[in-house]
Amino acid sequence: MTLPLLRLENVDKVFVKKTMMGKKSYIHAVRGITLDIQRGEALGIVGESGCGKSTLASLIIRLETLTRGKIILDGTDVTSLKEKDLRPLRRFVQIVFQDPYSSLSPRMTVEEILTEPLKIMTKLSKAEMHAKVTALLELVGMNASCLDRYPHEFSGGQRQRISIARALTTEPEILILDEPTSALDVSVQAQVLNLLNDLRQKLHLTYIFISHNLAVVKYISDRTAVMYAGQIVELGPSEKIMLEPLHPYTRELIAALPAVGKKLKPLTKAADMTENVAQERGCPYQNRCPLVDLRCKSERPPLAQFEPGHFLACWGVTKS
Amino acid sequence: MTFTERALKILKYNRLTAIGAGIVLLVILVGVFAPVIAPYDPNVIDVPHRLGAPALKHLFGTDEMGRDIFTRVLYGCRISVSVGIAIVCVSAFFGILFGSISGYAGGKVDNVIMSISDMVLSFPSMVLALALTASLGLGLFNTMLAVSIVKIPVYVRLVRGQVLSLKQRQYVKAARTFGAPPFWIIWKHIIPNSLTPIMVQMTLGLGDAILMAASMSFIGLGAQPPTPEWGAMVNSARAYAIDQWWYAAFPGLSILVTVVGFNLLGDGIRDILDPKSKQG
Ligand SMILES: Nc1ncnc2c1ncn2[C@@H]1O[C@H](COP(=O)(O)OP(=O)(O)OP(=O)(O)O)[C@@H](O)[C@H]1O
Ligand code: SF4
Ligand SMILES: [Mg+2]
Repeated sequence: MTLPLLRLENVDKVFVKKTMMGKKSYIHAVRGITLDIQRGEALGIVGESGCGKSTLASLIIRLETLTRGKIILDGTDVTSLKEKDLRPLRRFVQIVFQDPYSSLSPRMTVEEILTEPLKIMTKLSKAEMHAKVTALLELVGMNASCLDRYPHEFSGGQRQRISIARALTTEPEILILDEPTSALDVSVQAQVLNLLNDLRQKLHLTYIFISHNLAVVKYISDRTAVMYAGQIVELGPSEKIMLEPLHPYTRELIAALPAVGKKLKPLTKAADMTENVAQERGCPYQNRCPLVDLRCKSERPPLAQFEPGHFLACWGVTKS
Repeated sequence: MTFTERALKILKYNRLTAIGAGIVLLVILVGVFAPVIAPYDPNVIDVPHRLGAPALKHLFGTDEMGRDIFTRVLYGCRISVSVGIAIVCVSAFFGILFGSISGYAGGKVDNVIMSISDMVLSFPSMVLALALTASLGLGLFNTMLAVSIVKIPVYVRLVRGQVLSLKQRQYVKAARTFGAPPFWIIWKHIIPNSLTPIMVQMTLGLGDAILMAASMSFIGLGAQPPTPEWGAMVNSARAYAIDQWWYAAFPGLSILVTVVGFNLLGDGIRDILDPKSKQG
C-alpha cells in the first residue's frame, strides 16, 4: 500500500472551558481518531450535529491545536510545527466552510476575496493574480464580471462557488468540505455537488467531505467514516456503508433516510435526548443501543477490521 | 434598504437627527471659514469700547478688552471642533490598537489591558482628566492629552468586543488557513468590519470631548487667555456675569449647542447603521 497523503494517528481534542465559578469543564470533542487518507480519494465523514466533525476539520487544517496524537501530511509530521513553519504547508490543505454568508467578508469585493490568499502566500504580480482569479471563477462556473461585486449581491449557491474558488487559489491537494451544501436549497445543492465532483476529476483533488447527510456523502465519497461522540464507529466503502451498514448507529442514520430507510429495519430505539450523553466508560453509544451488553458498559470497542477494508467499533456485531 | 435610503429616511422622519446634522454642519463650516466670516481680529484690543452690549456693530457685544465676542466665538468654534476631533482620533487610535491586541492575544495580555481599562472607566472621567492635566501641566495640549487618555478605554472595550465576535467568523478563519499573520487579520478584516460602531462612538464622543476640554479651560487648566476658547472665555466672563450677561452667555451657549448637535447626530447615525433600531 502506498504512503497515505494524510494520516491521523490517535488524534484527540479536549476543549477546556472555564465556568463562572472558576471551575473547568472539559469537552472531549474528538477521541482517538486514526485515519489514512489516500491521494486522490474522497473520504466522507458523517455524524449528527455536535459529534466533532468540524472540530476534526479544524484540527486537520490547524485552526485548533491537537490535545494528543499526530497529523502526518505526505510523510511530514506537522503536529508540533510552529505557525511559521506551518505556513508553507498551509497551501496544500484548504477548506470550504458550511455557512456561505459568514465565509466571505462583506467588505471585500470578489476579486479582493480571491486574491487574499495569493497576496499572503505568493509573490505574483497584480496582472498574474487577476488572470489566475479570473480562470478560477470560470472553473467554478462563474464569470469575470463578478470580480468587482460584493458577496451580498450573490445567492447562497454562488457564494459557495466563490468560497470553493478561494480554497482553490493556492492549488491545494486536499480540500476539506465542511457541510458545503447543507445551507443551500436542494436544487442548488445538487449543482454544487456536481461541481465538486467535476473539480475533483479535473484537478485530481483529495476530498474530505463532511456532512450529516449520508445520501450526500455517498454521492461524493469513495469511503465513508461514521462518527459518533468524537469517535469513528464505522469506516468502509460508501456503498457498503449505505447498503450493508454494520454499526447500530450507522443503521439508525440510514433508517432515517427517506429513500433507503424503508428497506432497512432500524435496529435502534428512538433516540432519547436525555440518554443522548456520550459515556466516558465503555461504548459511547451504549445508552441508545439495542444490542447493548455488559461488556459495552465497561470496555470501549476499538475500531477494528471486520472485513477487508471495512472497519467497525462495536462488540455486539459479529460475523454470522 | 441601502445606507443612503436609510439615512434619508431617518433625516426625514427624525427631526432631532436632522437638527443635529444641521448644527454639526454649521459648526464645521464656521470652524473652517472663521477667518472669512469674522468681522474683526479676535485679539485686537479696543479699550474704549470695552464691555459693550450686543449691537449691530458688535453682534455679541465686546469683552473687558473691547474685543469682539462674535469674532471670538467664531474662532472658538474652530478651536473646539479641532480639539474635539483630535481627542476623539487619538483615543480611537489607541483604543483600536489596544483593543485589537487584547481581543486577539487573549490570556494574560488581555487580562492586563482590560484591568487597566476597567480601572480607568471606574473613575468619573472628568475627575481623572483633571488629575491628569494637573500632573501634566497647564495648557490646551496637555488637556487634550489628558482627555484623550481618559477616553481610550471606551474604544478598547468596543474594539475588543468586535474582535472577539469577528474572530469566530468563517472569513477570518479562512484567512488564518492561508497563514495570514495577526497583523493582516486585524488590518484587513477586523478594523474594516468594526469601523461602523467605531465611527458612531467617535461622533457621540465628539460632543463629550468638546465639553470636557471646554470645562477644563473653564477651570483654568486648559486653553489660556487670550486664546478665544469657549471654556476659557466663560471663565474670563465670570467677573462680569451679572452686569454683562452677553459675555458669558454667547460662548456658553455655543458649547451647549455644539455638544447637543454632535450627540443628536451620533444617536441618529447609530440608528441608521443599526437596522434593528426602531426608527429604521
Ligand atoms: N472552540 C470550542 N470551544 C469549546 N467547545 C467547542 C469548541 N468547538 C466545538 N466545541 C464543542 O465540541 C463538540 C463538537 O463540535 P463540532 O462543531 O465539531 O461538531 P459538528 O459535528 O461539526 O456539529 P455540526 O454538525 O453542528 O456542525 C460540541 O459539543 C461543541 O460544543
Ligand atoms: S459496542 Fe455495544 S453498545 Fe456499542 S454499539 Fe456495539 S453493541 Fe451497541
Ligand atoms: Mg460542524
